[in-house]
Amino acid sequence: MKAFLARRTATLGVAVLLASFVVFLIPYVTPGDPVRKIIRSRVAGDVIDDATVQRLAVELGLQDPFWVQYVRWLARFCSGDMGLSHVSRTPVIDQVLPALSVTLSLVVLTLGTAAVAALVLGITAALQEGHVADRLITTTTQAFIAMPEYWLAPVLVLVFALKLSVLPSAGWTGPASAVLPVAALALRPTSYFTSAVREGVIDALRAEHIAAARSRGLTYAQAVWRHAVPNGMLPLTTMVSVWFAGLLGGSVIVEVIFAIPGMGRLLYDAVLNSDIPVAQGGVAVVVGLAVVLTTLADLAHRLLNPRLREHHA
Amino acid sequence: MDNFRAPVADWALESDAAYILSLSGCLETLTKYDHAQGKIVPSLATEWKQSSTRDWDFTLRDGVRFQDGTDLTAEAVVTSLQKVLDAEVPARAFNPTVVSGVQALDEHTVRITTPVESPLVPYRLASVNTGVLSQAAYEDGAVDPFGHCTGPFTPVSEKPKQSLTLDRNEDYWGGPVQLAGAEVRFITDGATRAAQVQTGEADVSLSVPVSSLSALDGHSDVKVLKADSPRTATLYMNNSRAPFDDVNFRKAIRSALDLDALASSVYEGAAIPASGPFASSEPWATQSTGAARQDVKAAKDLLAAAGYTPGRPLEIIAIVERAEFADVATVIQENLKNVGVPVTIETKEYASVEPDLLAGDYDMVLSQRNRLIDIADPIGFLTADYTCDGSYNLSHFCNKEYDQIIAKAAGTGDAQERYRLYAEAGKILEEQAVNIWLVNEQAIDAVRSDLQSYVQDPLSRYVLTADTSKPGS
Repeated sequence: MKAFLARRTATLGVAVLLASFVVFLIPYVTPGDPVRKIIRSRVAGDVIDDATVQRLAVELGLQDPFWVQYVRWLARFCSGDMGLSHVSRTPVIDQVLPALSVTLSLVVLTLGTAAVAALVLGITAALQEGHVADRLITTTTQAFIAMPEYWLAPVLVLVFALKLSVLPSAGWTGPASAVLPVAALALRPTSYFTSAVREGVIDALRAEHIAAARSRGLTYAQAVWRHAVPNGMLPLTTMVSVWFAGLLGGSVIVEVIFAIPGMGRLLYDAVLNSDIPVAQGGVAVVVGLAVVLTTLADLAHRLLNPRLREHHA
Repeated sequence: MDNFRAPVADWALESDAAYILSLSGCLETLTKYDHAQGKIVPSLATEWKQSSTRDWDFTLRDGVRFQDGTDLTAEAVVTSLQKVLDAEVPARAFNPTVVSGVQALDEHTVRITTPVESPLVPYRLASVNTGVLSQAAYEDGAVDPFGHCTGPFTPVSEKPKQSLTLDRNEDYWGGPVQLAGAEVRFITDGATRAAQVQTGEADVSLSVPVSSLSALDGHSDVKVLKADSPRTATLYMNNSRAPFDDVNFRKAIRSALDLDALASSVYEGAAIPASGPFASSEPWATQSTGAARQDVKAAKDLLAAAGYTPGRPLEIIAIVERAEFADVATVIQENLKNVGVPVTIETKEYASVEPDLLAGDYDMVLSQRNRLIDIADPIGFLTADYTCDGSYNLSHFCNKEYDQIIAKAAGTGDAQERYRLYAEAGKILEEQAVNIWLVNEQAIDAVRSDLQSYVQDPLSRYVLTADTSKPGS
């Protein structure tokens, strides 16, 4: 276990370094002058004074070779300082933490909803394998996969905000405002999770130990709850952690449509405006969190699966 | 109220955050641009005069108090203006290039000094970037507008990137304020802004996209307001490169295009075919016979006169930041094909093509400029975009007569005479067919029908006012 944790800690460091380096390269591999992008994000307009461009480049240290800038950022980051935003000139941490807390809430609600729905639907489908309920659940959840967020979100707004007037169309102001964005984000993971739970439960129901358990006197319901359902939950831990990591920075479309001030929108704006300190700080936090979460998921997976625990012990 | 942007640089007044504070009814300036009258009118200053060649003196209004209870003084005005002048990224309208100093002559008089004589100083003092906050707003190094404005509404809380909440200023110098308060939300997605005014979650949605108009038009509780904006979608042509260096060729392109079809199809009727470099409602608009009509025969004759023979396909660059430009380019491509001019379309990010545009290494580009983005006068636009040494002369057009007219206008204090000179300059641009001005875009706001005394400002600087009201507020 210690070796496992040591490996994962090293992975965490390397992943954060690599991700922050890739983000750092963005202004050098995308067209356009980063200083002009920074200026345009503050004062919209096409005509930009060359003297201002040159002065700002010096003040922000952007005239230095890119590796000098990167090492400077890395040294500061390692000492716990994410620096100042190029655009707002305020501490990056003050932008990243509020955005992270919003996105974490959004993602936890989304994956919690998806996991609960998947357990109910997946177990029902497995127990009714081949029957109408199974076919209905399987077909419906497969259809969810074909509904991307950029299509689904406006449709949800149209139905529940405009036609029925039962939910707010945008904002992040309370439980009601979370319903539509969570629904827009949760449908696709629900689909994948349901499929995994269904397969897991069906596999378990066909396994010999279920028959053995029943021969020991367990009722069908007891066998299902004690053996089949845990087997169906097993893949969920890994899938939830993978989706968690993806949604931390990948909910940008939903965040823009519903005007949610989360990480996706923060990173999108930062890259658009060449606000590299914000982009780097945000990505480092997201990647770090993703590695930590997948490590925790692996640990949980080992605890839930005795065979895996024994195999790697 | 739904606005289309959030402050990006906290509340620094030299940044576009000043627009948000101004449209929210918090920030006020020494002068204001009255769009209906087409002139500068008093605001925090009651009068102004040019006291010497380079000096302008502004007399402050008596009895104005900031929302923190302190008096509006010349010293407070100087502090605010000096902060903007000293900014890392200075404001377009008010920066050290155009203003060399600000000083308090006495408690009620502020002097603005310019490097050279400038009749446009009162216009610069109408820019939202020159808004005035009390001195307490600058105490911690950052700009804190909360309780430090002079306007009818005072900001009381902010949800970063989400919204700004304001309360009525009970001691507003301009008289009773009708609304008890307001919330300004920052919603970048246009369709969401339109949805919010339909559901009644918002009373005003600014800058509604054309694609949402059909849904709003059928809604009895929503009014859609349109006004000419100072933005003209333009096909820029590189006048320094063949075949665009021949005026007959440029005129041929103009005759080949069907601007009516463009306005009704791509812009779905939310833009008006352009008749020249200015919108017809602008006081400096040229006397025109209307938008150029498509005339295929005339286009072919002009191409023959220019000695044009189809060779390499000409390239139109469509900027991706304006989604509609891809469709505009396709319509133009079809129109030009009909007169025998082959065209290819390239879709690129603005940042990636800017160096080529400024260097004159391109054929045609679709772009849209705001003529009044600096001040409520087109001098900055006409100088930067069309004079020989203009810093944003994408057309690479150079005409000595035009330059002389613009230089004369820049030194003309009388607004009517200056506008006449702008019209004269505009006529040269039209005669030379420097660019093809395609459509004048409309500023579109959607408001709930029960909102009263709402006056649309095409530049969205003044939205919430003391007079804005709604039943039960």
